[in-house]
Amino acid sequence: MSMLSYQHFPIYAIMSLFLGAFLVVMLGKNRAVRNALAFISVSASLGFLLALVKRVMIDGEVIAYWMGGRVPAGGYAIGIALEVDALSLFFGLLIAVAVFVSCVYSFSYMSHDDNVREYYTLFLMLAGGVMGLVLSGDLFNMFIMVEILTFAAVALTAFRNTAAGALEAAFKYLVVGCMGSTCILVGTVMLYAQAHTLNFAQLSALIAGDMNTATKVAFALLFIGFSTKAFIVPFHPLAADAHGAAPASISVLISGVLTKSGLYGIIRLTYFLFQSMGLGSMQFLLVFVGSLSMFICVTMALAQHDFKRLLAFHSISQIGYVLTAAGLCTAMGISAGLYHAMNHTIFKGLLFLAAGAVLHQTGTTDLGRLGGLSKRMPHTTVLFLIGAFSISGIPPFNGFASKWMIYQATYMKAVESGNIGFLLVTIIALVTSVLTLASFVKVSQSVFFGRLPAEFENVKEVPFGMRFAMGIFALLCVVTGLFPNLVTNYLTKPAAAAVFSVGNYIDSMMGAGYAESVMAAPPAAPVITYTELGCWDPVSWLLILAIALLAVTIVALAGKYDRVSLRPAATDAKHDLFFGGEESVYSQVGGGDLFWGFKHNWRHYFGFMHDLHSGIVNDYALWALVALALALLFSLIVL
Amino acid sequence: MILLNYIASFFLIALGFYTIVTKYNLVKTVIGLCIADYGVNLLIITIGFNPGGTAPIFTWNELNPQSFFVDPIPQALTLTSIVIGACVTAMSLALVIKLEEQYGTLDTREIRRLRG
Repeated sequence: MSMLSYQHFPIYAIMSLFLGAFLVVMLGKNRAVRNALAFISVSASLGFLLALVKRVMIDGEVIAYWMGGRVPAGGYAIGIALEVDALSLFFGLLIAVAVFVSCVYSFSYMSHDDNVREYYTLFLMLAGGVMGLVLSGDLFNMFIMVEILTFAAVALTAFRNTAAGALEAAFKYLVVGCMGSTCILVGTVMLYAQAHTLNFAQLSALIAGDMNTATKVAFALLFIGFSTKAFIVPFHPLAADAHGAAPASISVLISGVLTKSGLYGIIRLTYFLFQSMGLGSMQFLLVFVGSLSMFICVTMALAQHDFKRLLAFHSISQIGYVLTAAGLCTAMGISAGLYHAMNHTIFKGLLFLAAGAVLHQTGTTDLGRLGGLSKRMPHTTVLFLIGAFSISGIPPFNGFASKWMIYQATYMKAVESGNIGFLLVTIIALVTSVLTLASFVKVSQSVFFGRLPAEFENVKEVPFGMRFAMGIFALLCVVTGLFPNLVTNYLTKPAAAAVFSVGNYIDSMMGAGYAESVMAAPPAAPVITYTELGCWDPVSWLLILAIALLAVTIVALAGKYDRVSLRPAATDAKHDLFFGGEESVYSQVGGGDLFWGFKHNWRHYFGFMHDLHSGIVNDYALWALVALALALLFSLIVL
Repeated sequence: MILLNYIASFFLIALGFYTIVTKYNLVKTVIGLCIADYGVNLLIITIGFNPGGTAPIFTWNELNPQSFFVDPIPQALTLTSIVIGACVTAMSLALVIKLEEQYGTLDTREIRRLRG
């Protein structure tokens, strides 16, 4: 095998990031050298994965790579393996793109910080850890990568350790994250004790048909372990703390990359390792946890006063969508979930970068203090609005297409299974989307519109490098929203097909016929068609929107629209939108008060949730233990 | 003998988690993490243990079907796990020192500026 054979590309994609991390430490004293090294390693990683797209995504090849050429002997996988199917490559591409953009953004964003060399080292370690996790074909190596990425993420959360809450957030994340990692390790060795292999493909073949108490316990442990990495309920407070404290470029990685690694783990665990998604109870588990995350986090977001903390809760809410869709175990559900996972990385990245831009220029992310920045930062405002429209699911941006697919998938699941509960999930998803929009109206009003506070009179637009990075994400938001056909055909469809071809996954690694010889009958991959999909044409939705707006305008003009008639006393500031009190004592209705009526009616719920998220690390650890206990009960009784 | 090992390892893990949940001192939280980690290490070693087996160190010629030794893979896993455990301890203690400087306390109930 020559050095340039495509078989080597997955390991190159991982090693270029780790190698970059070490080179930055050694040679990165000079700023230009450091930036160049970081840029080269992230571009190389992205390039190696892009070079695999044709083979894996279009030709459907599964790359099985044995480190050092140590192929299985005597039917046992001894060596360490990488295995790249369409699912791995899909997540790998997401990660590589997010890391690339975040790296470009960091060049300007981190220019005022100390110890930037260490920042890039940790940054590349985090990226390499996640990349290693999704490309690995070995359960223990997945654990190692989880630990690497957890350490890097904790260190980066505490990177600006003089910032309020940074150390606190890092410590909480470290404690609960390590409890999660411990769970993963215990689960891994319990599976090893049963099957005497750590190879993921071979474990998948051996475990699924041979469930006993030990493997059931292992399932619960692994599920909780990967849940801590995905920050789904009840681990969401950690994400909120970490996002609020970390630099914005790291928030992009925590939300776009780290949570994806947890989701990837859960999908691999349920669909491949235990192959239990056919069970109604497993579907219930994922859909229930997903819906819970979706709803709880969006309501938590409504109550926030900090820009980044609010975005963090939204991030987990969107992860809830992905998990719900993945839990449906239908081709439509999986592709909807993967599509939304991709969009989540893009729009959430854009929003966090916009929040970072605001922090970079004003020094605060407090929604109560900000306001009117659209006059000073017009480009950032437009980019932020693109992200806000995307996450709220407004056509023609990408959130619309994937959310539509999720609504339709849950609805179709309800029709197919005759289970009214899935219809409830559709409704929760719709309500969550409305609340998301409401919350982003609040954010854009209190940060970018309204009156500019005097202290931010001299704020300037962010440097070009940061706008460029945001522009890439914004462009991706529009492109993936306008051409859902391309995305589904070339990205999500092969990945969704890979989720359902466990037999092929095992055979590619262990040799043809292995799956059949060990398992009873590996389930055949279904043929995926999207003929019934309703969101094909976002452009026509945009046209409908434009026509409706035009109609409203014409009606308004025909009715001799008169400014004065709408505002009886134009000078009376009391009737201004988003504004309370007299003009002389200007008081913009802050972000927290925009939905005061709604929040007043729900005050008991919000008060309860506020008290529940006490910020004490013992409480969060207790939540983790309770979740673990519930998962153990679930898997022992149901599985 | 082996059963006792399993019981002890899960007891240690449970004890570690119990410490994390119930103790309000940051240093004790770190100790809890360590105890859980020791429990995991004991568990891994126990899984690889074969009663009466020798150390798994052979040259290629010495190896024959009658060789009886303990499983070497869990031992390798334990080494990795020990290294990771040391990292956890080092990093969390570093954070504890910084937290004490910033907040002036080690009580978790007072280190809760981020909440709600």
